[in-house]
Amino acid sequence: MADFVQQVVAGLASGSIYASLALALVLIHRATGVINFAQGEMATLSTYIAWTLTTNHGWNYWPAFAFTLAVSFLGGAAIHQTVIRPNEKGSLLRVVIVTIGLLILINGLVTLIWGGEVRAVPSPFPSGTTEIAGVAITTQDIGTILVVVATVVVLWLMFQYTKIGLAMRAAAVNPAEARLVGVRVTWMLSLGWGLAAVLGAIAGMLAAPSVFLDPNLMAAILIYAFAAAVLGGIDSPVGAVVGGLTLGVGLNLIGAYVDFVGADLRLPVALLVILVVLLVRPAGIFGREEVRRV
Amino acid sequence: MRLRGLVVPVVSFAVLAVVVAVLPSFVSEFRAQQFAYVAIYLIAIIGLNVLTGYTGQISLGHGAFMAVGGYTSAILMADHGVKDIWTIPLAGLVAGAAGYLFGIPALRLSGLYLALATFAIAVSMPAVIKRFEGFTGGGTGINLFGIPELTASLTPVSVLGKELSFNDWLYYLSWSIALVGYVIAWLLLRGRTGLALRAVRDSETAAQSSGVSLARYKTLAFGVSAAYAGVAGSLFAIATTYVNPDTFPVALSILLLVGVVVGGLGSLAGLVAGAVFIYFLPTWSQAVSKSPGAPSVVSGALLIALMFVLPMGVAGLVERFRLLTRRVYHRSGS
Amino acid sequence: MTRKLALALLALVLALAVGATAALAASIRATADPGVTPSTIVLGGTAPLTGSASASAALARGAHAYIDYVNSRGGVNGHRISYTILDDASDPDQADEATHRLVEQEGVFAVFNSVGTDQNLAVRDYLNQKKVPQLFAASGSSALGRQASQFPYTIGLRPTYTAEGWVLGQYLARTQGAAKVAVLYENDGYGQELLSGLRRGLQRSKVKVAAVQRYDASASDVQAQVARLRISGANVLALFASPRIVVQALKYANTLGWKPKLTLDSAAAASASVLQAASEKGTNKVVNGVVSVAYLKDPTDPRWLKSASMKLYRRVMTRFAPGADADDVSHVYGMAAAWTAVEAIRRAGDDLTRARLVQIVGSLSLQGNPFLLPGIAIKTGPDDHFPIEQMLLQRWHKGAWRSFGGIWSYRGT
Repeated sequence: MADFVQQVVAGLASGSIYASLALALVLIHRATGVINFAQGEMATLSTYIAWTLTTNHGWNYWPAFAFTLAVSFLGGAAIHQTVIRPNEKGSLLRVVIVTIGLLILINGLVTLIWGGEVRAVPSPFPSGTTEIAGVAITTQDIGTILVVVATVVVLWLMFQYTKIGLAMRAAAVNPAEARLVGVRVTWMLSLGWGLAAVLGAIAGMLAAPSVFLDPNLMAAILIYAFAAAVLGGIDSPVGAVVGGLTLGVGLNLIGAYVDFVGADLRLPVALLVILVVLLVRPAGIFGREEVRRV
Repeated sequence: MRLRGLVVPVVSFAVLAVVVAVLPSFVSEFRAQQFAYVAIYLIAIIGLNVLTGYTGQISLGHGAFMAVGGYTSAILMADHGVKDIWTIPLAGLVAGAAGYLFGIPALRLSGLYLALATFAIAVSMPAVIKRFEGFTGGGTGINLFGIPELTASLTPVSVLGKELSFNDWLYYLSWSIALVGYVIAWLLLRGRTGLALRAVRDSETAAQSSGVSLARYKTLAFGVSAAYAGVAGSLFAIATTYVNPDTFPVALSILLLVGVVVGGLGSLAGLVAGAVFIYFLPTWSQAVSKSPGAPSVVSGALLIALMFVLPMGVAGLVERFRLLTRRVYHRSGS
Repeated sequence: MTRKLALALLALVLALAVGATAALAASIRATADPGVTPSTIVLGGTAPLTGSASASAALARGAHAYIDYVNSRGGVNGHRISYTILDDASDPDQADEATHRLVEQEGVFAVFNSVGTDQNLAVRDYLNQKKVPQLFAASGSSALGRQASQFPYTIGLRPTYTAEGWVLGQYLARTQGAAKVAVLYENDGYGQELLSGLRRGLQRSKVKVAAVQRYDASASDVQAQVARLRISGANVLALFASPRIVVQALKYANTLGWKPKLTLDSAAAASASVLQAASEKGTNKVVNGVVSVAYLKDPTDPRWLKSASMKLYRRVMTRFAPGADADDVSHVYGMAAAWTAVEAIRRAGDDLTRARLVQIVGSLSLQGNPFLLPGIAIKTGPDDHFPIEQMLLQRWHKGAWRSFGGIWSYRGT
């Protein structure tokens, strides 16, 4: 029984990491209608920036964290303005190719600047483990789940109750009409990208202490994040979190108790989840079904 | 179609065929092998173009269909003693069937959702291959070097009285299939089928209202494009004499899509340029710098730059050139 | 000018342009053996310069640095060595294409130090058919040394994974009483071979393998596997995994309050920075006392810090590979391989042909490779294409590896 609970706890911990990156994906899709294949690499880059500040330049954790978030925000917005915006008018495919190009470029850039070695990243949470009835939970894991939940709450509040949130939603749903009411649509889209980059940075910095940092930190996590976002509803932040946690726990349990799968087939199972959800209910658990009126 | 409209396509195709036929006499054997790979990529992206360029369905998973074709060929050759040439159409059929079957549930998906679904297939393919070890040789893969079913693998083969080494044989085999595939795709696309596919791309609602069966054409597009990818995969296995889960990675699927976009969606001619581009991209990036990670930086930057400079691909460039000359022509005439 | 005609002409021009540059660029040397000129010997190899295994590129980079150093001292037998490394992104087909390019376009004398089991196996038939030496393939797969009579041009260098697993098994058998071992391994040839070697080493001993878990190379985390291993009640944990996974497993074991005795294979232990990361400034006690296998002088081992060979190593790294992590023992491996290659070439003297090189390499008996641990010899014979079969054990202690005990020799395939 303790083993089962331990697997659940481990699943919640890894699931919250998937959820945090999924939040970034959901935000970009909701704000700009685009799936950013480079989201993971952008998060890795942000994490490296935080790492190099604390390790090579002796900054304290929180100033480095804040600085990284600021840089990520500006970077995300800048990427949107320079690289994405000119291609938005073209076909969807052009934007997809551009984000893929970004993925390749940033991955190479990170290796070029910092090399491929594995690095240890400090954690904002005190190290320590609580043991309850034979099941170990680290403070890091609890902290990660709390941060992810808090982020979702903040996002929801922002979208529901602030003018900016409203403007962003309007810009995403109907840019032409939004412009008519005075919404600076392009700025809203860049804002969306900047915020998503911030979320990605948070995801990276939550993941790195336990998963450790190297250029491929986010490669596998990105795919789990896609699965989580699709499962929960690609436009729903709450869905991203629920999807991530469900996925984390589900994958662990399947890996532990279904012999055919084994722990090493978790990735294909996650992808099967994507496929099945897309086929059965593309909107995910919390998404809204798209109805096309003719 | 009027006879006059056929003259130019036929002539230009003939020119291409002639160039392809004589090129090996001018270049080294190694170059011939490189161009053989270009032909293989060309076959795959001709197929992908039918799906993405003409029907507007984004697939990030065609590397997986290449894997199906490649493994079909390898298993037929290694375990069942089938001669390599005969495995090619079989591989195409198997992959085509897989594509068609995937097309059925995929009817419900469009745009980014389809891209994600196909991406999921591409990523999971290596793991699935490893899972069915008994069948596929698992992580070790299947080695085809020197087996008798592989033509010209060890000794040159004699074709039409000419002695061909492995590289040259591969070159002519791949280009013959590529040219034939080009013609088939052209015939398929210029008639009513092509019209229907383009209708689906431009507006599914309008197409449906006009009586175009979405189901039939979308699944057809998937099946056809997967068949092409399967043939390409089969040739790939023959060329590299080795298949293993890592020889059809996600990067391949992405590369194929890049090839179609760079070539120019919805245009057959630009695809040759697209195939050349995706084959030589790693070489060009490494030529710039070999420091760890640097080739990726170059590739990624080049890709992004291309989307700016050639938003419509090479075909778009040619189109602009054509409009330019036409304008000049008309201006000077009037 | 109609559209189709324009396109056709464009295609024609493109094809001719490429063909012309190709014809100009292709230079086929008409010498007895390609890759040898009066002044230069051309070597080439493939390595993952991009992709998820790019950390292994250090194996090639170390060799490149040493060769640059040799060139700076006048080369070997009056020849400069040119060593080209091409990227294969860990894809065997790309390795195949790159190897074809090295042989047919660059005209290399030998393919040297290509990285990766699958990548080397994919080109083995081709290279042997073309009679191009596949020299010191950088992989521990025993498949590369087997069938020496069928593949005379192929030879590895480092101890096989089976040998390493066996040594670790023997060590555990002799020192751990009736322990229970849990194994986490990478689900490919590397991990599988280490596991089978371990089992072989544990034969007829009281130590038993209590549980095994594997992970796929693309995995992002292994917490589930570690949790499962812990409940087996094992008191020894063997990690046959990539550095990132090792570090995660160590951290998670610590989290779970599980403090087993730890053993790693040499690839897992390659970079000292990995274990330093895992020990988290000493808070992770699990890391202390980790035992691994070594055949190279580790850059962090205090015993060799002042030795002439390590000083040379550091000098060469600083001058010819600035910016690389000199604590990564993979660079030492590269230098050891390059040293051996240079020795073999030197022995060929004026008779520098591929056949002669293969002959020399097939009957080597070298002691005194400065980068190998003292006493470890390089020995090959007609049926023995396993140059290095000796190892020492090493223990992680206070931020550094220290080798201990006597030399272990593995005999077998």
